[in-house]
Amino acid sequence: MTSYDDTDQMIFPAGAATQTSAAEAAKGEWDAVIVGGGMAGSIVAEQLSQAGYRVVILEAGPGKDLDLAEYESYLSRFYGAVIKDNQSPYPFNPNARMPRSTDTMPVHPGTPRDDFYLVQEDKYCTDTTFTRVLGGTSMHWEGKALRMLPEDFNLQTKYGQGLNWPLSYDDLEPYYRQAEAELGVAAEVEDQTYLGMYFPRGYVFPMHRMPPSYLDQTVARGVDGMRVNLADDDYTLQVRSFPQARNGVPNAAYDGGKGFVPVGAVSTSQVEEGERCQGNTNCVPICPVQAKYHAGKTLAKALRKGNVKIVTQAVASKVEINEQDQRVTGITIKNYQSLDSDSYETYTVKGTVYILCAHAIENARLMLASDMQRMSRSKLIGRNLMDHAYLLSWGLLPEPAGTMRGTSCTSGITDLRGGRFRGTQAGFGVDIHNDGWGWATGSPYTDLVELVDKRGLRGRDLRRTLGNQISRQLLLAFMIDLLPDRSNTVTVDDRYKDAIGNLKPVVSLKIPPYTMRGAAFARKLATDIFEKLGAEDRTTYDKDRYSAVEHDGQWYNIVGGNHLAGTHIMGTNPANSVVDHTQQSWDHDNLYLVGPGSLPSIGTSNISLTMAALAFRSSTHIVRQLRAAKAPATVRS
Amino acid sequence: MSVSESEPSQGSKIQTIEELHQYLYKGLQLEHATLPPYLTALYSLHPGKNSDAWHVIRVVAVEEMLHLTLVANVMNAVGGTPDLTKPSFVPNYPTRLPCGPDYFKVHLRPFSDEALDTFLKIEKPAPAASEEDRFVPMDWAALGLTSNGSAPPPDKLAELEESGTILGLVPGEPTQRFLSIGEFYEEIIRGINHLEDQARKAGTTIFTGDPARQVTPEYFYSGGGDVIKVTGRDTAVAALTLVAEQGEGLHGGIFDSQDEIAHYYRFQQLEKGRYYQKGDNPGEPSGPDLNVDWSAVYPVKPDIKLADLAGDPEILAAAKEFNQSYATFLTSINLAYNGQPDLLLKAVWEMFRIRDSMNRLIRNPLTGHPGANAGPTFEL
Repeated sequence: MTSYDDTDQMIFPAGAATQTSAAEAAKGEWDAVIVGGGMAGSIVAEQLSQAGYRVVILEAGPGKDLDLAEYESYLSRFYGAVIKDNQSPYPFNPNARMPRSTDTMPVHPGTPRDDFYLVQEDKYCTDTTFTRVLGGTSMHWEGKALRMLPEDFNLQTKYGQGLNWPLSYDDLEPYYRQAEAELGVAAEVEDQTYLGMYFPRGYVFPMHRMPPSYLDQTVARGVDGMRVNLADDDYTLQVRSFPQARNGVPNAAYDGGKGFVPVGAVSTSQVEEGERCQGNTNCVPICPVQAKYHAGKTLAKALRKGNVKIVTQAVASKVEINEQDQRVTGITIKNYQSLDSDSYETYTVKGTVYILCAHAIENARLMLASDMQRMSRSKLIGRNLMDHAYLLSWGLLPEPAGTMRGTSCTSGITDLRGGRFRGTQAGFGVDIHNDGWGWATGSPYTDLVELVDKRGLRGRDLRRTLGNQISRQLLLAFMIDLLPDRSNTVTVDDRYKDAIGNLKPVVSLKIPPYTMRGAAFARKLATDIFEKLGAEDRTTYDKDRYSAVEHDGQWYNIVGGNHLAGTHIMGTNPANSVVDHTQQSWDHDNLYLVGPGSLPSIGTSNISLTMAALAFRSSTHIVRQLRAAKAPATVRS
Repeated sequence: MSVSESEPSQGSKIQTIEELHQYLYKGLQLEHATLPPYLTALYSLHPGKNSDAWHVIRVVAVEEMLHLTLVANVMNAVGGTPDLTKPSFVPNYPTRLPCGPDYFKVHLRPFSDEALDTFLKIEKPAPAASEEDRFVPMDWAALGLTSNGSAPPPDKLAELEESGTILGLVPGEPTQRFLSIGEFYEEIIRGINHLEDQARKAGTTIFTGDPARQVTPEYFYSGGGDVIKVTGRDTAVAALTLVAEQGEGLHGGIFDSQDEIAHYYRFQQLEKGRYYQKGDNPGEPSGPDLNVDWSAVYPVKPDIKLADLAGDPEILAAAKEFNQSYATFLTSINLAYNGQPDLLLKAVWEMFRIRDSMNRLIRNPLTGHPGANAGPTFEL
């Protein structure tokens, strides 16, 4: 077997994802057993590896190395897909299924259907998704990396809404910087210093901001200086650059003048690609050159020392618990042979600490399937499910504005993320989409069909009309806060099982009036912005869709944000939360639940950066617990 | 490679700053001359096939652009003016490059074992055993250009230089050429040392260029290796050393001083069917396997010229359009090397245009040439 290259950041050790069998993993005694090889799991694994501990990652997805050939197989599947949804690059896997936006529809109890993974019995259904391959949802995320606002951490105290965190912005600030280094965030401090967000003196982001698109500049000409009155306060709007985990121009002043070296494409050989974004505009789901961060970049580092192993095709199906002391004694996995067969073998993998990093829905599903709610003092496992509520508004600009150039989204409006109005209605951020109306209408494919089938265009006329129409498209996506609510849930139900007998998650998510008041305000703001820009409003909402929500006699379509959170929230005591501020379970002291499920609120920032910061923070506590439990094992190479 | 930093300035052929500028211009020409053959081979690969070959050739091509930038930085530092727009700057293919004792032809042709063989020759490490071995006599008779082997008369020589058919001659000495590209850069380093020593004795320096003309790392990265801002002797030597060793390896090693696999060894991976990794010996890669599908290639007609396309008016128009795009691209980077470094960022989309334009040619069969496809002519 080849030895590991321990110097090149982008080398993924060849065979690392396939060489440890489930049987071997079950024989070993690990310092840490991690469920899930996504962003959180990779960060924790890498941190524990640095501290010298032996770690095994149990990954439900297929067993391939994250080498360039595997990545390119994802790309070619994506290029060939008719519907380019978030999961389109990945093979269908009946043994570890993922929700697909195209599968969204209510399930009626007793229906003999199996064409879905997320079970939703309500009239309103969310089309939210998460991805189950090595690398997790970082294999489809967009790469926005916003910090939460200081006021997001004590929303209850400040505005009487939602829940307070057991942590403050101050507590998390150093870990935000660590996460910004790991994810490689491109932004300018001067753009991001607003609504109370602060940075230590002299701090700069690893890389300079992504250049604002021409579309951003067009929108800014109408929006900058616009005034809005909300709950007796005046707000002045401006178009602002978003921080992104995407390689740009490194900032030479980073780290006291040491600069930053961007991490490009990972592979088992030196490929030297992806060290800078090329503006391909298909950030979601997959960057063609790996300029966008994905967890494979952290995983490659975690695997370098040889003390982290991965077992793939290993679906965690039960957390084993000693009823006497409530400690976790093992994770039982179903190790399936292939994507084409439902045959599997069962093993139990044992370690000193256990860390569930399987994302909000899977962490809850696994714990509920393991009957852990019975032992939970708060009974909050699977409750407080959150996701950003997205309201889309789209219009046609009077002139071509360069839509379809640049990364998916480079700028937006962030002035209404915070303020006193949050006492009565939800805050929101606004994304200016460089990729046109695709999310709302299926453009550009639907434009093509319309021009050919309905208007009979062809040849040069077709080309010109298509180009003109698409480059004038403006999509504003309003990302609206959704507060924690115990009645928004993930549960399990014996009637719904996947191909290898694991219980499917049953989701019930309702959009509350607080969020809808924000949505109604957002809709009004969109029409004002369109008017300012001379854009023709083309927005239509359909009350017959599963995403339809009625508010004040108006129908809206609220779509999922893929920012799932809150199924095992953190808090100050075992009665009000599932984990403490270190993400350690209140009820099982050798169990950590690391991931967005721990967030007690999501505010108006995409959750990944906060989740990554929390993963770094928890890692220091896990190391402390392991150090107390045992001396580090010698690393064998 | 015998590039070194503190060689005594003995035996330098470069005696004046004008001669140094002339050498550096030849350096720009030499670095660029490898791009058209590398790009032609790269885009001849069937999309989605030959991923290993694709990435190997792509990295080398990107690094040749880095080398072009490094040589331009040195030229700007010593008060020269890079000019990528002279009529002779782009060679007339097939051209001849100086590498080892053979003077071989470099063709524009599709990816093949012959093409790979040429690429290996271009990048082959050829350290001179002694001072005398650094130069090889120029055998003009073998090229069929004169009957007795002596240099052609000056006007004929000027014409050959103008057409870009002969690269690697010792400037001003048409009876000699360099043993290798490494030795060519060694000569420039000696010249810089010699001229700078002399200048310092007189209380001046040859590094009189405007620092604002330097291309700095924020304008160029990807593909491995960093741009070096050249402000004096040390940085000039570092830049030229990187150019030489990134092609041929540092002191015969697989990796250069920035831990990049040298071009020769990158290409050799395709020949050996395995990747190199840290700790390997030259010729014995032990990393992951790789696969080359020699048949998944478009059959581009080698060294195609516009004159060959008379029977295909649409292809002729596309070929002319490509040449125009390529000229625009060279003009952009030339402006970047002449005080507007941020234009390098804008050249990125021009490179996408070049790619698309090349693909259009390469994927179309030629009338009257069964089994052959069109390709870019690079006649500017």
